Amino acid sequence: MYGDLGNKLVQHAKRTQNLAHLPPYQAEIVRAVTREVRDLDKDVTELLEPFQGSFDPSADQATACTLLVNHLSMRRNKRCLLAYHRTRTDKLEEMVWNGVDVLDLCGQQVRAGDSGGGASHAGTRMSSVDGATSSLSPQEDEYVRQYGDLLAAYKGQWTDIDLTGSLEPPRDLFIDVRVLKDAGEIQTEYGAITLTKNSQFYVRQGDVERLIAQGYLQKLG
Amino acid sequence: MSYYDIDSILTDAEKVPCKFELDLPDLGYLDNNPSHALKAGTQLALPLWLAEMLALANTGTSEDSRAPVTLNLPEALSERVIGALKADPRSVPLRDRSAHFYGLGTHMLDLFEERELSAILRRTFVTRAADIALHARKAGDDGVGGSSEDFLRGLDEWERSLFRKAHEGTKSTKEWMDKVKKR
Repeated sequence: MYGDLGNKLVQHAKRTQNLAHLPPYQAEIVRAVTREVRDLDKDVTELLEPFQGSFDPSADQATACTLLVNHLSMRRNKRCLLAYHRTRTDKLEEMVWNGVDVLDLCGQQVRAGDSGGGASHAGTRMSSVDGATSSLSPQEDEYVRQYGDLLAAYKGQWTDIDLTGSLEPPRDLFIDVRVLKDAGEIQTEYGAITLTKNSQFYVRQGDVERLIAQGYLQKLG
Repeated sequence: MSYYDIDSILTDAEKVPCKFELDLPDLGYLDNNPSHALKAGTQLALPLWLAEMLALANTGTSEDSRAPVTLNLPEALSERVIGALKADPRSVPLRDRSAHFYGLGTHMLDLFEERELSAILRRTFVTRAADIALHARKAGDDGVGGSSEDFLRGLDEWERSLFRKAHEGTKSTKEWMDKVKKR
């Protein structure tokens, strides 16, 4: 029946809400639902064709009812599609605010899923993004990129407050960190440090907070 | 109940029994029978999003014109269930009736004039909410584990979210108290 596929999509969204990571984009179902809408629209056009734009609902109740059913099905599908995408973008926005490297994360999740690990471990794995296994649609990919830019521009207005910084007051100014994957050279107040994998540093927390959130470094002790 | 609310969308997918009042030549597929017309008087279970609008639609302007379908109360709100709720709200596993029991109930109350049903639903929720609060406070740290699992199985979606919130509240309070004591 019409609307069943949309329902499936919403059930996916429901599951997504309770997950820590983002499951793969259901391109197949989304396409099927949009196809359904197109078919319904074609039906409506065909139904209305003989009336030449002068359709009187009270004269032909059966046709009016059929049109209504078609229209409602289309409306329902639209709502399902919008809600599904909104659930995902909400999740993506939350990730961007938390400083998770979304584009980097997708490649890892696939592997983490294969070896039975959860998303919580994903951040500690080595990764190389291979686009084919990404759980984002190309549009979502673009969305994340632009939202990230937007957030950066917004944060740029206040140079002395980090809006996405941790709310926990730090215990110590300096912490020990271990490098989990190569992050290149970073500049600190005390000169440049080159972060190579498996090395250990004693650095100022403020300097490396972002790198910890992104999963490049691990805080020790 | 926003447009994008997932639970509200799923509530709209609940089926309600309807009776068709018109012969509809093109809608046979609703009865899994696309090649035949849908006869007046056919009984069908339609999802709420379709049934509601069809029951409210009245295209004709003359006196005897009717909406294409008439609605009935769904199984979840049948006399039997309501009777059981009247007897003891706590003993009925609402989830077996419908995963969105209250959503369905409030939706039906929008469409039907059922004062008694409204009163019973309200009393059901109040009685069960107290129970939920109690369970949420006692539940282990993992939230759904242990003895509460059986209990959770009978809750509808709304009650589950209530349970989760109550549980998280208790947990956060405990964490906060521990922190205060440490200082």
